[in-house]
Amino acid sequence: MTTAAVGAGPVRVVLTRARAGFLDLGRGLGTALTAALLTAWLIVVLALLPVGAGVLLAPSAVREVRRLAEVERARTGSPTLGPGPDRLRAAVTDRLWRRDLRWVLPHATAGLALGLLGTLLPVYAVRDLSFPLWWWLVPAGADASPWWWTVRTWPDALAVAGLGAGWALLSLAGLPVLARAQSGLSRALLHPPADVDLSLRVAELTATRAAALDAHAAELRRIERSLHDGTQNRLVGVNVLLGAARRALARNPAGVDDLLARAQTAIEEALADLRAVVRSVLPPVLERGLAAAVTGLAADCPVPCRVEVAVEPRCPASVEATAYFVVAEALTNVSRHARARAASVSLHRRAGVLHVAVDDDGRGGAEPGAGTGLAGVRRRVEALDGTLEVTSPPGGPTRVEVRLPCGS
Amino acid sequence: MRIVIGEDDALLREGLALLLAAEGLDVVATAVDTDGLLTAVDEHRPDVAVVDVRMPPTHTDEGIRAAVRARRTHPGLAVLVLSAHVEQAFATDLLAGGARGVGYLLKERVGRVEEFLEALHRVAGGGTAVDPEVVAQLLTRTGTDAGLERLSAREREVLGLMAEGLGNSAIAARLVVSDGAVHKHVRSIFAKLDLAPSDEADRRVSAVLRYLRAA
Repeated sequence: MTTAAVGAGPVRVVLTRARAGFLDLGRGLGTALTAALLTAWLIVVLALLPVGAGVLLAPSAVREVRRLAEVERARTGSPTLGPGPDRLRAAVTDRLWRRDLRWVLPHATAGLALGLLGTLLPVYAVRDLSFPLWWWLVPAGADASPWWWTVRTWPDALAVAGLGAGWALLSLAGLPVLARAQSGLSRALLHPPADVDLSLRVAELTATRAAALDAHAAELRRIERSLHDGTQNRLVGVNVLLGAARRALARNPAGVDDLLARAQTAIEEALADLRAVVRSVLPPVLERGLAAAVTGLAADCPVPCRVEVAVEPRCPASVEATAYFVVAEALTNVSRHARARAASVSLHRRAGVLHVAVDDDGRGGAEPGAGTGLAGVRRRVEALDGTLEVTSPPGGPTRVEVRLPCGS
Repeated sequence: MRIVIGEDDALLREGLALLLAAEGLDVVATAVDTDGLLTAVDEHRPDVAVVDVRMPPTHTDEGIRAAVRARRTHPGLAVLVLSAHVEQAFATDLLAGGARGVGYLLKERVGRVEEFLEALHRVAGGGTAVDPEVVAQLLTRTGTDAGLERLSAREREVLGLMAEGLGNSAIAARLVVSDGAVHKHVRSIFAKLDLAPSDEADRRVSAVLRYLRAA
């Protein structure tokens, strides 16, 4: 699958990924530093246990282990477990708390090292690349060189800049890898074991089922409202106009044509409304398959849009309809808000999951928050047990990515 | 007759105004929401307010509540409420303050201009106009009023037509019976509902109210 944003070019993609890796590493460094402090604190508490003071301090240390593990689970995309044991005695017999504890030291060491490396690399890159700009400002006699050799001449300074370029390249290539290693370590140690995962999964399914019912009710209300406000009201209006026309026939035949013209306009509007409602329930175009439907959407989009679809065998109707609305909403946003020059839509079915991605090279800053069309799309997606991810840093590019399980 | 219209849908609002003006009625103001409607009623003191049930902001029963408020501040005001669908609770709310000068009709009745105008005039004159659909809904329910339980099938039918707002001769024409027969049914209804013989119009209204509230 091509993931490059259309029109943005590979350079922009590499920059975006490196930036995401850098931010990830920074957040990981934060939890790693806390884990290092926590390790020290745990040692102190352990040492104080025989003299009694440790007993008083133990509960807070126990809670802190779980709290930090939860923060890291949320950061690395594992399901969170909720509050754990409060007392030391309960904690040491708690299998999940012991797992959390076993993560603290590796993260405080290996995680910390990865985080430091990841944050230092770009710092070195910036410092050394800019070296020729400021090295001559350093007072004579002091050693300006950031490294082991002494810089005295311009060629020396340029050599430092060359080293900086090396750091920059290393950052671009290495930051995503380092970030993956750091969060991979945490995920391996912290992701709940299968049986716990299952009970969390049940809780999640219960929640999404409730969301599905809510979404269903909201959908019915939406349909009722649009039928009432659009079609029904228009037809009532037509009825009034026709009644008036019949009365006018006897008294003022000249005015009848005007009334009939108004009635006809209103009927045309009612039909247009009805068409929109019907389309919004289940787009008839989907009968011909998702590929045709999405291609149609892309063709209607005022921004040039490339389409790539590989979705055989066909997905369930609810999944296809949701995918269709995801693309429709995303493309509407592209044409309305993104100020994009190009967009691309890709739909792929792999291993029983439909992947939908809509990219554009616009100005970014899309918020999937409340009140936006994306929030409605998210509800629809989550009702089908899918996930929606919007990546839209200020300045772009924007990527809307949805995964929908096809139930087989 | 001076009329104020409260209707948020532009097409229907203008259509109504057009229709009523063509009939020589005086549409003194139109409003797109309940605030506008109440202001217009205060300002113009119309004979009748024609009000849509669903209006902004929630599009549920704003129109009913505005109509009830307007009648409380202007006791003589007649109100004809138009609704896209009949809802018995709406009718009950509306009639709670008395049935004089109250109408509750489906929107599509407006297209039958003669009948609509007749209902409008009846309501403006202090009468009642309840949509046959509402009455039909009530007929299918078994009431809890002992007096109503005593009515015969024919008497219930007559009472239903009274609730629609028809007079005795109109009821006679609808049922294809003589005026005298209808008169007899009506007296029997009053007797069974224990309505003391005072003002004929009051007794009619009381009977209709009993009937409408029973469901």
